[in-house]
Amino acid sequence: MTWNFERVAGPCKGRTGGLAWDGKTMLFSAVAEERILRYDPSSGETSVFRRWTGRMNGIAIAKDGTVFGAQEGGRRVIHFLADGSTEPTEELLDGAHHNQPVDLTIDSKGRVWIADAYNMQPPYGPPAYPFLPHASVLRMDSYGPKLWRLSRVTHDTAGPRAVLLSPDEKALYVADGDVERGDVCQLFAYPLDEHGVAGHRKTLLNFSANERGIEGMCLASDGNIIACMGWNRSGCAPSIVVVTPGGTIVETHPAPADVPMRCAFGDADLGSLYVTAGDGALYRAKGIGRKGLKRS
Amino acid sequence: MHGSLETIAVEVDLCAPGWERIIDPSPPVDIIARDIIFGEGPTWDARNEQLWFVDIIGDTIWKWKPDTGQEIVLRPSVKGNGTCLDLQNRLVVAGWGGRTVYRMEKDGSWTTLADKWQGRKLNSPNDIVVKSDGSIWFTDPPGGMYNVGMVGPDIQRYIETQPVFRISPDGKDMTAAAEDNTYPNGLCFSPDEKILYVNDSRERVIRAYDVKPDGTLSKSRLFFKYEGPERGVPDGMKCDTAGNVWCTGPGGIWVHDPSGKTIVRIKTEGHHPTNFAFGDDDWKSLYITNIGSVVRTRVNIAGVPSR
Repeated sequence: MTWNFERVAGPCKGRTGGLAWDGKTMLFSAVAEERILRYDPSSGETSVFRRWTGRMNGIAIAKDGTVFGAQEGGRRVIHFLADGSTEPTEELLDGAHHNQPVDLTIDSKGRVWIADAYNMQPPYGPPAYPFLPHASVLRMDSYGPKLWRLSRVTHDTAGPRAVLLSPDEKALYVADGDVERGDVCQLFAYPLDEHGVAGHRKTLLNFSANERGIEGMCLASDGNIIACMGWNRSGCAPSIVVVTPGGTIVETHPAPADVPMRCAFGDADLGSLYVTAGDGALYRAKGIGRKGLKRS
Repeated sequence: MHGSLETIAVEVDLCAPGWERIIDPSPPVDIIARDIIFGEGPTWDARNEQLWFVDIIGDTIWKWKPDTGQEIVLRPSVKGNGTCLDLQNRLVVAGWGGRTVYRMEKDGSWTTLADKWQGRKLNSPNDIVVKSDGSIWFTDPPGGMYNVGMVGPDIQRYIETQPVFRISPDGKDMTAAAEDNTYPNGLCFSPDEKILYVNDSRERVIRAYDVKPDGTLSKSRLFFKYEGPERGVPDGMKCDTAGNVWCTGPGGIWVHDPSGKTIVRIKTEGHHPTNFAFGDDDWKSLYITNIGSVVRTRVNIAGVPSR
């Protein structure tokens, strides 16, 4: 089955990044423009959700409808509140500033799972804080209004780029490695216990040294992973793939543009797949034969 | 993360003829305050013979006296940044993280002088100076919305520009005096107050403006552009009594004559200066705030008194 992508928004300056469906519209990050934009499929219009986001990339929507973002430029996860203000969250992991979050997801308990990568572009502000000696997945637990605690989830990642939870939230999928930094890219699955502690990982996909691995992922209703990977520069071509929980690629589709970034299902019944990319656009494919997973 | 205090030194380079009028080749260095994370906002208070300074990340306003050392004045401080003294010798603070400008009253209470412009919350007031007519001038860049470790409770930006603001002497009126900077940071007046210098950390420049009697600015012009690979950007800036402009930049504190030519660079090996203040009875001590400490050295020319 051919996936027919159409450009529905953009192009923006630089790459587009994280995206999240809020039930009616698709929010997506124009990272370098420091804006979150909102595509409304009912009107076809794109409007501004927030400006001055500090190079925010990954987006996740909490149960209360508020939006969390991975602020690469400020080395923190930020929380966009309904009144138009924005709060920082916990920036310290065991007393030290963590790295540059690029992606995040929120589970049914409200815990925030963060891909805390090293980035090519340096953060904002005076260079007062070194990066952590590791780039890991972090988990942020709330213990009261505006109170968050960070803990380290993975101890064997090079630089996670994307995080995703299985439908039962008993597995954490981590796309690891940034080919632009010279990492070897992989896709891992970690079993999670009820406390959110990860067990021994299973490697689902191994990329070779010149291949651009997975940057963004979302979940289909059947539990398969939809992932953005590849580029024209080297190795595997820019592609959107369907990966089973066991690590088999069962479908490969040409990406709508080079350097596909992140993806999310949207539209009625989560029946369309949206993709962001290196050309700064937002793409959509309808009727791809798969739907997004509806989380309760 | 910080320079080791043991390696702190002050040296000079980029010397133009006559540079010795500014500083000796190997001036003394004393560490006067330790155990701070991000020093900023130094102001010498001649009346009380003490130095005010802040630790932005440590969220504290400090004072330091030569005989009794350092003492906490306010913690938390809404991550206060630049400080200055008004005509009544009250401390006025650019409240970076809290996005306000506030003043310490004689009874120790605090008064907010500004928190909004045209109905919208300020960016993050950075540095501040009081003119002899009592007007308060401060820069309002957006770094307090995103800088690592240096933000307050609301990090949403609301105003479109990055102004230099002026609060009128009666405190009733606030206007944007200049809006042509990308990231305005340090600011100071020439000794005769006919020129306002504003530096821009992002563009790595100093701009000069003519100050008109009605308090408006005109003739924005480039005064100096910084180049160089060393760490450090235009941040703290003060004038000396000869009208020379002292400004942090790559590698240390640069001193420019009124035409913009560089006279000397005061290199600050082992530490990263953020700001500085002239002080002591002769205004020839230079108190330098760093990432990690406050140090004092001596110079050969008096600074413009802070009050």
